[in-house]
Amino acid sequence: MAGRRKSLLRRVTSIPIGLGERIGLLDHVPPGLAEGAPPPKHVFRWDLDKTYLRTEFDSLKDLYKSAVETAADKHAFPGATALLRALKQPGHRICIVSGSPTQMRQVLAAKLALDGIYWDEFVLKNNLKNILKGRFRALRAQIPYKLPAMLQSRIGATAEAETLFGDDAEADAIIYCLYADIVAGRVSLQDLERVLVASRAYEDDTARILDLARRVPKGNAVRRMFIHLDRRSPPLGFRRFGPRLVPVFNYFQAALVLYQDKVLSARQVIFVALEMLDSKQYELGHLATSVQDVIRRGRITRDVALQLTAEATEAATSGALSGRTDLPPFDQIAESFRTRVRELGNVEPVPFDPDEPLDYVRLVDEEHDQRRTRRKQGHG
Amino acid sequence: MPTMHRIVVDAMGGDHAPDAIVQGAAEASLALSSAEIILVGDAAVLGRLLPKMRHDGARVRVHHASQYVEMDEKPAEALAAKPEASIVVAADLVARGEGDALVSAGNTGASVLACARRWTLLEGVRRAALAAVFPTELRRGEKDDPFSLILDVGATVDVTAEDLVGFAVMGSAYAKLVSSNRRPRVALLSNGTEAGKGPKEVVAAHAALVETTELNFIGNIEGLDIPRGVADVVVTSGFVGNVVLKMLEGVSETVVRLARYAHKERLAWRLGLLALSSAIDQLKSITDWQQYGGAPLLGFTHPFIKAHGRSNARAVTNAIKVAHKALAGNLCGNIARTMAELDERAQRKPTGSGATEG
Repeated sequence: MAGRRKSLLRRVTSIPIGLGERIGLLDHVPPGLAEGAPPPKHVFRWDLDKTYLRTEFDSLKDLYKSAVETAADKHAFPGATALLRALKQPGHRICIVSGSPTQMRQVLAAKLALDGIYWDEFVLKNNLKNILKGRFRALRAQIPYKLPAMLQSRIGATAEAETLFGDDAEADAIIYCLYADIVAGRVSLQDLERVLVASRAYEDDTARILDLARRVPKGNAVRRMFIHLDRRSPPLGFRRFGPRLVPVFNYFQAALVLYQDKVLSARQVIFVALEMLDSKQYELGHLATSVQDVIRRGRITRDVALQLTAEATEAATSGALSGRTDLPPFDQIAESFRTRVRELGNVEPVPFDPDEPLDYVRLVDEEHDQRRTRRKQGHG
Repeated sequence: MPTMHRIVVDAMGGDHAPDAIVQGAAEASLALSSAEIILVGDAAVLGRLLPKMRHDGARVRVHHASQYVEMDEKPAEALAAKPEASIVVAADLVARGEGDALVSAGNTGASVLACARRWTLLEGVRRAALAAVFPTELRRGEKDDPFSLILDVGATVDVTAEDLVGFAVMGSAYAKLVSSNRRPRVALLSNGTEAGKGPKEVVAAHAALVETTELNFIGNIEGLDIPRGVADVVVTSGFVGNVVLKMLEGVSETVVRLARYAHKERLAWRLGLLALSSAIDQLKSITDWQQYGGAPLLGFTHPFIKAHGRSNARAVTNAIKVAHKALAGNLCGNIARTMAELDERAQRKPTGSGATEG
């Protein structure tokens, strides 16, 4: 009886918060670590739209469709669900920061639940609050929204390693690198303020972000950033961010890099590959070509690709492919992967230039110009 | 998922290679979801170019080739001296079954020779034919295609009547598929429209073609009928076809030069040209060969699309699309089937009638 009353009470007390968020009055504060809980070893931060979910919002019609579709109508990119599931390991924390409005929390949460994704934090953008307060600049602004959300999250649950997932639709690459550099103590508060001014942040947001940046636990935590090339942007444009940021055409490529980083096992890479094949949008040949592409761009080494092929063969023979009668024998698959590597001859990828500090003010200005150009061309 | 078609592209061939070729292939990778594009060429160069362009990294791959044939090299000598040339490696990949079609904007002679040495002819086809497209007054097919097809333009210099019949079958199958023209009008190029006009192989081919029901054979046409667009497929020997093609190209270049001369010479002429400029632009867009992409080498078990040497990225993309269309529409299979039907009909005929030899 007491338990029922407690659950009813929890439900009743949760209504004002949910309602408050929905009508734009309150912000959802992500829960930090429970008291006494050990800090996470690895935090994975994911964007949703165009990173995890195939979303179109280039036109008003797309926006409307995205707003009214049900959880079952929403589609994840092939391999993304398997990858996110593989990343949810003991000591790992999944934090979602999305630019979708808070009103979509229910449907997005339902979609993640349908996909079997368990998250630890789920932050959405309170755009209704911005409208009610007349802060129209904040509606489109990404840096003044995402950066404090990520810093706040790190203050609440500090991990020694972080991996970030975003896309090429907006400023994810800049935001993620800026976050990584703030956390690593490479960006002074003065420089950060200049960046925030360039990104048209409101004064109170700037003050809040500077405060968070001051308080955030420092360390070289951000090990890897992935940019999903949803717009198929030229990968070269991301090279200036250095080898830590990897533009990927699909999630098999992300899995390959994470295998190289020793975050995923060969078996887990196979699961990502299988999900992509099951989507019917990829064939084995595409996966083999994806391997060649990341080698050519210097994102994984040939040795790692060959080692993965050997380990995946072992995993396949020990049951990772049991019941998959639709696939050719794994020896054949492994050979096609090795052939793709051999096709490159002895040519080595172009080495990365030595790391130089990024000029974030210039990057933000360039991003604004690009966004303006895209809008003029009618691409949202 | 539809069947995946692997299109091998000689990335080093063409006046604007490799940049325009890689750009064209990159664009094709975004446009064709059921194609895999294999760029053959210097992997270091291609590896530097591709990341500069919008493309799908799961649908474009690189196959290293350390050499390439220059546009002005002598084909046989170049192939002998450069066994690792990109066109040789590309033709080999298709011959080994690692690719389904080939696209090249490189040296025509070397490309044709590389294919001829490595590929096998379709059953029933005695000689391959290189086709070319030419803009005409009349349009054709569902897409209002402004180009007619002329074949052969150089692959087979001396032809027999059977070769000409084979060319007619191949040209018709290609026009049907690429121009979406259900019954392309096929004609033999001769020095008169009468059935008995022309050299003996043309007369004999005429006699054989009038018997076919598979083709829409309209008889003989003369040279002046080509630009008029009287036929959708013009069949001739490689020798004549090459002469005709170069003459037609020469005439259009001369017209452009004369217009330039007129533009400089007198104000009245310049004003006249200015008044006509929008019409000229319209004409240019209709007859823009870059939209066509390329012309095929027909008769082999795999399609080969020869893009113009001056091809830009758009022309290369379109050539890849044509190759994809040829694969998706089973062009080679259709040619082989029609050839078999003609062969069967010839077998059934009582001896002594319908002979195709002049």
